[in-house]
Amino acid sequence: MAIEKIDGTMLSQMVLSGAHHLSNNAKKIDALNVFPVPDGDTGTNMNLSITSGANEVKKQETNHASDIANAFAKGLLMGARGNSGVILSQIFRGFAKGMETKETLSVKDLAKAFDGGVATAYKAVMKPVEGTILTVAKDSGEKAMDIADQYTDIIEFMEEVLKEAKASLKRTPDLLPVLKEVGVVDSGGQGLVTIYEGFLASLKGEELPEDDASNVNMDEMVNAEHHKVTQDFMDTSEIIYGYCTEFMVKFEDDKLKQNPFNEDDFRNELSELGDSLLVVSDDEIVKVHVHSETPGTCMNLGQRYGSLINMKIENMREQHTAIVGDKKKEKPKEKIEFAIVTVAMGSGLKTLFESLGVAVVIEGGQTMNPSTQDINEAINQTNAKNVIVLPNNKNILMAAEQAAEIADVNVRVVPTKTIPQGISAVLSFHPEVDIDENKAVMEEASLQVKTGQITYAVRDTKIDGLTIEKGSFMGLNEGKIVNTNKDQLESAKSLIEKLVTEEDELLTILYGEDVDEAEVEKLTAFIEDTYDLEVEIHDGKQPIYSYIFSVE
Amino acid sequence: MSIELNTNDGQITITTDVIATIAGGTAVECYGIVGMASKSQIKDGIAEMLRKENYSRGIVVRQEKDKLHIDMYIIVSYGTKISEVANNVQSQVKYTLSQSLGLSIDSVNIFIQGVRVAKD
Repeated sequence: MAIEKIDGTMLSQMVLSGAHHLSNNAKKIDALNVFPVPDGDTGTNMNLSITSGANEVKKQETNHASDIANAFAKGLLMGARGNSGVILSQIFRGFAKGMETKETLSVKDLAKAFDGGVATAYKAVMKPVEGTILTVAKDSGEKAMDIADQYTDIIEFMEEVLKEAKASLKRTPDLLPVLKEVGVVDSGGQGLVTIYEGFLASLKGEELPEDDASNVNMDEMVNAEHHKVTQDFMDTSEIIYGYCTEFMVKFEDDKLKQNPFNEDDFRNELSELGDSLLVVSDDEIVKVHVHSETPGTCMNLGQRYGSLINMKIENMREQHTAIVGDKKKEKPKEKIEFAIVTVAMGSGLKTLFESLGVAVVIEGGQTMNPSTQDINEAINQTNAKNVIVLPNNKNILMAAEQAAEIADVNVRVVPTKTIPQGISAVLSFHPEVDIDENKAVMEEASLQVKTGQITYAVRDTKIDGLTIEKGSFMGLNEGKIVNTNKDQLESAKSLIEKLVTEEDELLTILYGEDVDEAEVEKLTAFIEDTYDLEVEIHDGKQPIYSYIFSVE
Repeated sequence: MSIELNTNDGQITITTDVIATIAGGTAVECYGIVGMASKSQIKDGIAEMLRKENYSRGIVVRQEKDKLHIDMYIIVSYGTKISEVANNVQSQVKYTLSQSLGLSIDSVNIFIQGVRVAKD
């Protein structure tokens, strides 16, 4: 039987059937929800929104199609909940607008209504995110317009529209990376498909099953559930329920006679034993996914109804440890053009280098020089075709040169001897020019800067004609000891006097982990009073060298 | 002005500009928002749409003690349930900031500066 026109009564039946079908599947749609916020409420929100729409439609005593559509839109608007609910209300506001004031609708009118829905839905957003309910509405709406001329039977037409909506839903992971990552289709899109399924069933005069296990793919629900769970765990020790347990029970009649199966009761029982619970059943099987500490108990409960098939238990603590440990070892990405690797001690210096765009900062320095292997690993970690290494210490230069020789990629070492030289080199890096030109420019820049360091003596010694007592401070100008003093601040002041000349414009202070800020302030005040210099201060948190000065 | 986070490895400093940019970027992708408005428009009552480069003019990040508050000035689409749109922006902004910066935001306050009627 074909339907060429639908009137208000038929349209309201379609709406009610769509709402009913959505409400039957709300839980499954919730389970898919990972975008924009993985809080698992898409199905619930859409259900509340469409129920409000359906209630408004029930109040109508008209057979006028556009009045019904307007009532539906009004109810949706008033009851809109969540992102998906707001979008749904817009789609059907446009849907009502698209059919103008028609009393009955032909295929063409319906196509215009679908098309109007898409137009209105897209108008209410600045940057539509594709791969969502919007995309599913758009693709199926375009299909409706494309085929409107070819069909007179609304049932056949709606079948095609639904087919396209389903196809579009399948494509959502290609458009929205997070969906692909998790391995699900978009939950809002699934909701819209579900509503359209309800529309079609009503046209065909079919009843849709209460619980349609085939409607949403269990694997996708499980993936989404895992995604939501991993959002919550920063640390393996936080996992309460350690075993991801999945199994299916094939119902057996004699067991069911003794233990009649009720999905809700079964779900409640299992919910006592764990979380991330998914229970889906049809007439033949029930599928269960649960995170529990007692997977055996969960399975025993299932066995009351039949035999266990397809069991899988995984230890999530082991997996999580692996995931957390594996974050650095993700699948090979596209190689980048350039990266800089450098060596520094102190988290402040590390942060400073990273903020300047250095890819990897190897923690090392005066007393814990990185080996060739450390540097080589850092080079590989950058995933770049061209890598520039800045050793920032003459004792690391050799290791860096060796690492460059054995590396599989193009590596150049700029022989920086100090942190300030390294910073200066990084600042003069240009991604537009090739690696050799960069090496030359960076080396040149590194030589323009003067380095002073303050450190303390670990034993009595005599160097460069200076008698140094254990525990007193020494000022080093380009690595050469130029003063010694029992007082750190005095030593620093006298070193700066040696470093700074008329031409200098900028003095950068990188203060170490043992320096208190009050002293840094005193030193800064002294510099500003004495010299006409810009002063930059960074908390380098480096050990051994209480101050590193850079003058340029 | 910046927010400082102390971790085992040292300090992470995030300027409020970064927070505002991320919050703005999230907001304009939210369904039902058609623009960001300048916060200073309250004076003359004309909601002026901000272009992308100055979204942060419509966003104020405040740090009080160790709590973070964000005020956002937005323009919404006519015909949507505005309370719900505002609510969605709040949850999306909160979520995105916690995901990308690990910051927990104590409040996201939404100021609806205008409603835009789309031309049909």
